[in-house]
Amino acid sequence: MSPVREDEAVFEALRTQLREAATALADGPDALEGILLGIVDDVDRAVREPLEIFPVCHHSPASAIAMARRLREKRPKVVYLELCEDMAPLLSELRNCRLPVAVQAFASEVKGFPADWAPLSVVAPITEASAEYQAIAYALDTPGVELVLVDRSSDHVFQWQAGGSAEDRSAEPEAPDAPSETPPAEEDAALHGDAVGVEIGDLRPRFAELEEHLLRHGRVRHWSEWWHQYVELPLGDSDHDTYRQVMLLIGSLFRRLAPGDAERVRVDEDRERHMWTRMREHLAASGTDPADCLYVCGAFHAASRVEEFGVGGAATFEIGPPSASVWQHGLIPSSHSAIEAQFGLTAGSVSIAATQWAKNLKRTRVQPFRLEGQVGAKKPAKTAKAAVPLTPVVPGVADVASDKLSGFLRRAPVLDPLDEAELLGWSVEIVRAARRNGYLASTADAIAVFETSILLAGMRDRARPTPYDFQDAAITCVEKDSVPGRRDVRRIVEIMMGGDRIGQVGYEALPPLARDVHDRLAPLNLKLQQRGVQRALLDMAASPELARCSDVLWMLRHLLPWGAARAIMGERRLGEQPIQESWDLALGTHQRELIELGYEGVTIEQVLEQRLRRRAYDAQATTADVLKAVEDATLYLRSRRLADELGTRALEVLATERSVDGAPEVLRRVRRLLAYYRTSEPVLPPWIESFVKTGYAHYCTLLPTAFGDEDATVRQVAAMLGFLFSMESLALSLGCDRTQLDLAFAQSHPKEPAKVALRWAAQVQLGQLSRAELRSLCDDLLGNPLVVPAYPRYLSGFLHALEPVPQLADFVVEAVSNAFARLPDPVLLPWLPTLISTLRADGSDLAPLLIREAGRIFPGRLAALDAWVPPWLEPPTVVEARPAAGARTGAALLAAYPETCDSVADLLGYEGSWETTAPAASGAVLTARHPDTAVALEALLAGP
Amino acid sequence: MLRAPAEIKYAEELDWLESVDDGPKPFSWRLSPKMVRLFILGSERADGLDREIPQKWFGDRSLVERAVVTLASDRGLLLIGDPGTGKSWLAELLAAAICRSSTLVVQGTAGTTEDHIKYSWNVSMVIAKGQSRESMIPSPIMTAMETGAIGRFEELTRSTSDVQDALISILSEKYISVPELDSDSIVFAKPGFSIIATANSRDRGVNDLSSALKRRFNFVRIPVVTNRKSEAEIVRFRTEELLRRHRIELDVPPTLLDVLLQSFADLRASAAAAGSDDEKLESALSSAEQIGVLEDAILHSNFFGERQLTARALASSLVGSLARREPEDLAILNKYLHGVVEPRSKEQGGSWPEFLEGGRDAIATLS
Repeated sequence: MSPVREDEAVFEALRTQLREAATALADGPDALEGILLGIVDDVDRAVREPLEIFPVCHHSPASAIAMARRLREKRPKVVYLELCEDMAPLLSELRNCRLPVAVQAFASEVKGFPADWAPLSVVAPITEASAEYQAIAYALDTPGVELVLVDRSSDHVFQWQAGGSAEDRSAEPEAPDAPSETPPAEEDAALHGDAVGVEIGDLRPRFAELEEHLLRHGRVRHWSEWWHQYVELPLGDSDHDTYRQVMLLIGSLFRRLAPGDAERVRVDEDRERHMWTRMREHLAASGTDPADCLYVCGAFHAASRVEEFGVGGAATFEIGPPSASVWQHGLIPSSHSAIEAQFGLTAGSVSIAATQWAKNLKRTRVQPFRLEGQVGAKKPAKTAKAAVPLTPVVPGVADVASDKLSGFLRRAPVLDPLDEAELLGWSVEIVRAARRNGYLASTADAIAVFETSILLAGMRDRARPTPYDFQDAAITCVEKDSVPGRRDVRRIVEIMMGGDRIGQVGYEALPPLARDVHDRLAPLNLKLQQRGVQRALLDMAASPELARCSDVLWMLRHLLPWGAARAIMGERRLGEQPIQESWDLALGTHQRELIELGYEGVTIEQVLEQRLRRRAYDAQATTADVLKAVEDATLYLRSRRLADELGTRALEVLATERSVDGAPEVLRRVRRLLAYYRTSEPVLPPWIESFVKTGYAHYCTLLPTAFGDEDATVRQVAAMLGFLFSMESLALSLGCDRTQLDLAFAQSHPKEPAKVALRWAAQVQLGQLSRAELRSLCDDLLGNPLVVPAYPRYLSGFLHALEPVPQLADFVVEAVSNAFARLPDPVLLPWLPTLISTLRADGSDLAPLLIREAGRIFPGRLAALDAWVPPWLEPPTVVEARPAAGARTGAALLAAYPETCDSVADLLGYEGSWETTAPAASGAVLTARHPDTAVALEALLAGP
Repeated sequence: MLRAPAEIKYAEELDWLESVDDGPKPFSWRLSPKMVRLFILGSERADGLDREIPQKWFGDRSLVERAVVTLASDRGLLLIGDPGTGKSWLAELLAAAICRSSTLVVQGTAGTTEDHIKYSWNVSMVIAKGQSRESMIPSPIMTAMETGAIGRFEELTRSTSDVQDALISILSEKYISVPELDSDSIVFAKPGFSIIATANSRDRGVNDLSSALKRRFNFVRIPVVTNRKSEAEIVRFRTEELLRRHRIELDVPPTLLDVLLQSFADLRASAAAAGSDDEKLESALSSAEQIGVLEDAILHSNFFGERQLTARALASSLVGSLARREPEDLAILNKYLHGVVEPRSKEQGGSWPEFLEGGRDAIATLS
């Protein structure tokens, strides 16, 4: 009897039976028969495959247990795993992490994909209670065993879905209409960022109706519960063959009934082709016997019908080359709730799976595989006992395929007997936990929860309450009309059942950048790897070595999202030395972001430099942006080289800029940089000199347009003038020409009142207009009833003029006071809000100047107000020009050359004669007249 | 009978269920818990029954399960939720299925006294024969205790605290003592006795339950149905019942049902987004409210209209039943009509333009 025929006979009985059933149900052979027999064919085919296929389901403790058992029994030499092939080198680092963590592939520079997909990120979360972890741990820690990842690379994940739109990206791994009821806590759920999730053994009907049908008839609320009750529990401790055949059956069932949309089927089949092609390549290259290998894949893929399936499958599939994107790999922390959120599972289901796994281990005494030195793992107790494998090693068990399926399908589900002690423990525990959370719960409630759980389970056809029944019972009995604390009973039960576990990537598994950051922050003596916020106090005056930590922190603050490093006290400004700082640090919580920084460079300085450079060389960058980059480079990196380079770039951008939108910002930043360079450097850097020079010429050229342009605001023009006036001396010393400015003014003909006022103010600065003239211009405005309504707009021009011409402050005070004094109410009152908003929005740095000036001019006390006359209303005190004592005035010439005067007098017909006068007495005459004063003064000065 | 209680209305169905029920029954229950669930939520093919049992209450399966299980346990059941979410209907169905008597009801009001919960005296008989069991008038709750049935207490939070607290001893000791009598002075509850109370979550804070009473009740919160599909089911189910009761031959076109459901969904969304109470309608916008609106429109069309339900009638009924406070509610409805319905009627057409017009007219009449 040939082996093939023998295998064919294996499922013959089942086939006949199903055929009969189909006939009975549907009155004749039809689609139903096709499906039912097709399923058996799938199972048959997979079981007969010489390379052993091990179907798994994600977050299924039964899968993990079966895997551990099978590995101990078979001891395969090669393990093929359905995981992106480019993630292989990272897996050995898992031992340095506290699970769950996710393997991440990350590409920030995208080539070959739409640019808006960037950055590309793929994560594959790994929990301890999973079959894949068992396989990884076994393969890595057993000498002579090879682990081969065979799924498509991260690059292909995106290549193959390039047909779909970008919106499909994030939604892809999620099943439709995920019935998760309570969204898990935001913070933890976002641990994966917006990465695309890939997972081994995604097994879930892809057809909302089918899932709904299963849930409805299974009398369960969500998918995880269905799986738990109808697959997990019945499979329980079944032997390997049964496990394998049942999983294949389920995979095939879902596949045949609900393949999902065509696009997904295409990707799935391509993945299967890819995996089998890779396996055949590996087998051919290494010469391994297929019987010594184990292929771990999702049950969905185990029931594949592609041509390439099997060791002897067709070798027609060509794996396309990856795109030019550069991929980086790393481990990032994950959490149960993040996994649940990403894959659309019910909140708490992964935690419950983990608890179940721990319990199964204890019950079945299967010894799980665990990477040596795994962080966060409990030390295996009673090693001596566990060393004895319970299942006897029977070589070649898998070779003899027998029909275990018929038995399993016919057998009534084996129900776990009621574990009374466990349920009692839960009931007591939940009441205690509820009390801690503010509920009024008592022992009576514990009894009620216990009773209700059993009743509920009975009503749902279960011999023992599942955690989900227990949760319902607890809600019924403990939850009243309001939630007293932060957590409701549902959440408390979830926490009790294992709660969310958040993984942590160990120091050794961190990328060099993150390790470097931790090394450099070591002087702070904080446990920064831990989650949560920690306060760091840096006293640089007492311990100068902390200054370097401060540098790192400021860079982190710049690079990481808000909250990772928050400066509570202390700031960094150009030219200032920090003395004391205090920080709130949450690096542990933001571990993923820190790790992702590591994909960009080896040190944070490098990353920051790249970012600054990218910002400066961006096509959209404005001069102000580039100057900010220069400032940051100086502040955080203290890099004169980079600052110079970026400064040169700023110069380029300025020269090509045609608008004055950024003028205020440019002025502010250039002033700051100039002040800094003047105090800290012996000579100004060449770029800033050129910048001032170019800026002077640039703004002179743009000034007439800006004055006339309606789009340019007063503030922007004022900032331009500010630049021109405050940089003037420097610019002129560097070879600029003042004429340029004069010409620009001559060409400027503003029409808008505010800009007109601004121009007047600038003319005063340039000496083209005197204050008296300015005053009379304003008086004219106030005197002309036709122009009065526009006066407020002139005023806002004057306000802005404080920026370029600060010495006009007293005049602005005068103008504002006049406005209040003389403007008619219908004009004044509507203008007041505008004045206030102008002052608040634009004048935050000008207002103090104005207020100070006003304080100087107006009397300080109320009483003084009555007698007060504003300085501008005081009659101008005529200062008599008194010749200095002994100075010879021009009249002396007249006396020396009388002929000129005489001839002029003759010409005018004036007849007079020359007279002599006694020289006028000087101030010293007084001392002669009142000698007492002088004597007294002399006595004072001489001292006693 | 204008409205038959559930046990009479579904008597035949209940009899049949009882005859096929082979599950374990707690106490003196007439049906097993699974059959109670089936009676309320309807049957499916998978249940393997010979006849179809229609669904009578629409909502989450686990809510019903929790309610049934609570009644089988030691505690009372308190259904809490917004007005119009079907609390009383669920209570009635539960009582009918479990003990075939849903009429042992105490209505909680501000005027409810302890006598209404315990017992009172027939004064003329007391004068004639003195105080005895014959001259005592038992309350519905006491009757339920004596017969091992389910007693119902509607609107528990409307009654005052001292009345509420009279329930504490009934629920924990399960007897009522009658101190006026010398012998036979204690009325014990038979097995199967329990209480279903309902409370309105909008009344919270009026007469809060004491924690001692809270402890003796299991709370089951009935949410407002927001699932479009099941809401449509509910409205259809209740409306059909109503049409039958009034003997009205009138079709409810599915498009109009859609308009009604959509407008309630919109109004709920706006209520959820509202910042203060002034910005949301006073109505809870429950399914019952929807049924009320539809009922109104149907009756109006039947008796005053052209015996055909129109979008215009629906709109005026909607405005009429939701506008309760003069400026606020009208303003909200006006905003809704102009901001949401008007663009939609331009975009989608259908019944919306007529709905818009009817709504405008109704608002114009009211304001």
